[in-house]
Amino acid sequence: MNTYNPITALVVFFALSILAYLLFRPNKGWFWLIRNNSGSNDKIVIEDVLKLLYHNENADKHLNINDIIRTLKYNDRLILEGINKMSDHKLISIQGDNVKLTKSGIDYALRIVRAHRLWEKFLAEKTGFKEAEWHERAERKEHELSKVETDILASKLGNPQFDPHGDPIPTNTGKIAKIKGTPVSELSVGTIGRIVHIKDKPEIIYKQILAENIHIGSLIRIVEKTPARIEFHSEGEAFILAPIMAGNITVSVLEKDVVYEEDLARLSILKENETAQIIGISKEIRGDSRRRLLDLGFVRGAEVKIDLMNPLGDPKAFLIKGTSIALRQNQASKILIKKD
Amino acid sequence: MDTKKIDNIISLSNDLRWQIGDEFHDNLAEGIYADAAEIVKDSVHKKDEKGAIRIDAKIDKIITSKVWGFPLMFLILALVLWMTIVGANYPSAMLSGLLLDTVHPALKGFAATMGMPWWLDGFLINGVYLAVAWVIAVMLPPMAIFFPLFTLLEDFGYLPRVAFNLDHLFKLSGAHGKQALTMSMGFGCNAAGIVATRIIDSPRERLIAIITNNFSLCNGRWPTQILIATIFVGALVPATYSGILSLAAVIGVAVLGMVFMFLVSWGLSKTVLKGEVSTFNLELPPYRPPRFWKTIYTSLIDRTLIVLWRAIVFAAPAGAVIWLISNIYFGDSSVAAWLIDSLDGFGFLLGLNGVILVAYIVAIPANEIVIPTILMLTVLVTGISGGAGAGVMFELDSVTATGDILRAGGWTLLTAVNLMLFSLLHNPCSTTIYTIYKETKSVKWTVVASILPVIIGFVVTFLVAQIWRLSA
Amino acid sequence: MEVKPKSACEACPQFNADGLKKLGVNTTDFDFVVALAGNPNTGKSTVFNAMTGLRQHTGNWPGKTVTRAEGAFEYNGDKFKLLDLPGTYSLLSTSEDEEVARNFILFGKPSVTVIVVDASRLERNLNLVLQILEITSKAVLCLNLMDEAERNNLEIDTRTLARDLGIPVVPTSARYNRGIPELIQTISELANGKIVCKPHRIKNIPQNIEQALEKLSTEIEQVYPDIPNSRWIALRLLEGDRNIIETLKTGEFV
Repeated sequence: MNTYNPITALVVFFALSILAYLLFRPNKGWFWLIRNNSGSNDKIVIEDVLKLLYHNENADKHLNINDIIRTLKYNDRLILEGINKMSDHKLISIQGDNVKLTKSGIDYALRIVRAHRLWEKFLAEKTGFKEAEWHERAERKEHELSKVETDILASKLGNPQFDPHGDPIPTNTGKIAKIKGTPVSELSVGTIGRIVHIKDKPEIIYKQILAENIHIGSLIRIVEKTPARIEFHSEGEAFILAPIMAGNITVSVLEKDVVYEEDLARLSILKENETAQIIGISKEIRGDSRRRLLDLGFVRGAEVKIDLMNPLGDPKAFLIKGTSIALRQNQASKILIKKD
Repeated sequence: MDTKKIDNIISLSNDLRWQIGDEFHDNLAEGIYADAAEIVKDSVHKKDEKGAIRIDAKIDKIITSKVWGFPLMFLILALVLWMTIVGANYPSAMLSGLLLDTVHPALKGFAATMGMPWWLDGFLINGVYLAVAWVIAVMLPPMAIFFPLFTLLEDFGYLPRVAFNLDHLFKLSGAHGKQALTMSMGFGCNAAGIVATRIIDSPRERLIAIITNNFSLCNGRWPTQILIATIFVGALVPATYSGILSLAAVIGVAVLGMVFMFLVSWGLSKTVLKGEVSTFNLELPPYRPPRFWKTIYTSLIDRTLIVLWRAIVFAAPAGAVIWLISNIYFGDSSVAAWLIDSLDGFGFLLGLNGVILVAYIVAIPANEIVIPTILMLTVLVTGISGGAGAGVMFELDSVTATGDILRAGGWTLLTAVNLMLFSLLHNPCSTTIYTIYKETKSVKWTVVASILPVIIGFVVTFLVAQIWRLSA
Repeated sequence: MEVKPKSACEACPQFNADGLKKLGVNTTDFDFVVALAGNPNTGKSTVFNAMTGLRQHTGNWPGKTVTRAEGAFEYNGDKFKLLDLPGTYSLLSTSEDEEVARNFILFGKPSVTVIVVDASRLERNLNLVLQILEITSKAVLCLNLMDEAERNNLEIDTRTLARDLGIPVVPTSARYNRGIPELIQTISELANGKIVCKPHRIKNIPQNIEQALEKLSTEIEQVYPDIPNSRWIALRLLEGDRNIIETLKTGEFV
């Protein structure tokens, strides 16, 4: 019984811990890798090819087989097999070098696009995943949802028209709305508009835009434009973007009679003994948390002031419609106010 | 029924929704509040600006101030726990005197005159009755003090302020400020703490609060901690300081529990609970003087008795099992002895022993019977004199005598320290497990909440034992 | 629309004290179902306890009543079953409490819905009141915590309020049992059809939504001519409420 050595016990323990870590660590654990790899089959390849063709045909570009192989990150043999199968099932027609989608090919592609965008909407409204993760998760989920599941998802979300990036979601009959708008890079100084779309590709630029805290639904006003940069004001802050970033943001230009509030501020900067009026809730608060804030009385026109400071600085309690409601700083920073 | 018309209505509603756009809910909420403002303007008049609200504001300023906020909070928590532990001593002693020293022998005598066979008498009176009696004696008094006190604070409106003050700390570990309350409630009883997580409106934070509630040292475990600390830790220093040192050890274990609560909350929110929605908003209601007797009555009925009833339901079969395993024999040894023997090796690795592990397995239903079970099993395997026979749980009035039995069972300071750690870090009792299942309605989360603490317990006691032995 | 006099008391001629029996949890064989709705922290459970003689725990804490509590009382020979719905700020969101409250008022078709509000925070509470009045026309406003409102120097003109809302308004302080007899009397009169309400309907809805609601509710009324709350159904359809879509198909709420 007492003949064991504590050091041996510790060594065995640490070896087991390291093994468990390597197997199960989030995302890169061997267990997950093996499980994910086994799922990569020709269905996914086919659907990815369809999506690629669809997006390119929408932009009036036609691809040949070589383009497809170059763009997709699967091995050549898988893609070629997939293309053959698709042609057998009349999803695509091959004319000379060019690959074109047939009517049923377009329908199939639209279904995948619908599943993808609905899932992004779902992630935005009903989960707490970060914006930067939505696209990648939807890329995986789009292959798993059946048509029926997609329809159920859509009706659960209230049959939304646009995904959180502002891209239109095709209906179950394949109707798809057009984005009407102008890229920020083409607007002239003084224009007021509402952001309707932010491209989520290429990812590097998308992540930069996210990091700037720019989001769909915000009103913006262009204040300066040079070939090197574009400056606009939105929600009480100034943003300066390079044209390449501005080109990925689309706004719908608003009529001149829209009042643009220049002296907007965020609730988070309100100080003790100051009062303010709520102007609105930023579009970045979505779904249930947005509704809850509205129900609590954070609606346009409501008077608000600080009721209680916190010994640790955060959260603060705000007096709104006669009741003291505590909000964390990150929520308060998404409520827009105008100081009295 | 005209199905076609209804389909038309539904598709019309879909079209209209597209036309209205996503501002629908915002506009509607604004519209309703605009109506409300008009109505209020008509019918509500404020007579003059000075109101009684000022007293509320003054109390709030102190309670949430940088200087007084935290000391006040700890003071109140310490006061509540002190009143519970000290105040429960007397009624507990009375109850155990009545149930264990008077009713138990009377029942035994009655069984003897009835001519009840020894196995039935043992099974029912020594097994089932004793376990239930123990749970009532140990659990009822502290709960009857703790919950009414807690409810008074709740009704007064203090607890939401505690959540407000502490929220930032909880936010750092990915949890909700209201978890501060369910955690404090857990010091009374984990099952009640878990029911209380209903006040957390965000599903992710609620799950975190449920899973980590077990790290609050509950009423059933305080006596174990205090007894073991007094016997083994207090003995390290001269008698004058031993009281303070053992108290510090117990508080240290409770604080360690909070540390684990934060760490596990953080870990969960970074891994398995990453994608769940989180929202935070907290209404700070006005202070309302609680109606003392009514509150005491309702909290007794609502919390104390319900939790106690559940504990008894679970404890009765546990008592039966304890008696059975000590009295059913395989060859030469009882099931208990056989179990203890086979778990001894693993127990040693953790700095514990087979007796403790077996006691914790059979005492899953109620932590209150851990110490009596350990004493009984120790006497059973060591064969020293003492106790009341195989399968009859007992406790000794004298702390020294308890210490003597445990030392005879091979206990050292390491065993004591690790028992205190393991008492903090092990699976929740079956009442709590059942409550977790009822609240989450998920087998998966119930399993996680039950297994996770015991794994942490194994790892911690294992590491402590190895390091202890290396440095000794 | 008749307005209850606000200065009634236990001894007033209208109230028949001998006719009242608090039945606690004995909810068998009732004649009427009464639902109790309201914001968190308005003393809703205290009102519930005062009417049924039960002692359900009332926390000074939002979202306390998560599960539905039931109780009963008998007044002038009629047995009333009282249901304490979860306290909510609104009925428009997707949270579980709100779904329970919303579905009960709509599908459970209570004979009377008592809406408990905090008299000193009337404006915030009216948000829920106005939503409930879209669903049901048999409602009474229980203006609770009047003692606090008086301490805060608020004067509430209950007559004007009742006229504006189109439902009876009863001021109460449930903690001290004040106003409860009048409340019970009003509930009984409503249930027996002696009071008929003309509930307020939300006016300040933006035009595009209002037009959409009108279009939809006309369509709904064509299929279900007797439905009293087609506008609410339309509202929920615009919201995409799956429960409503399903019941629209089965016609359960008629």
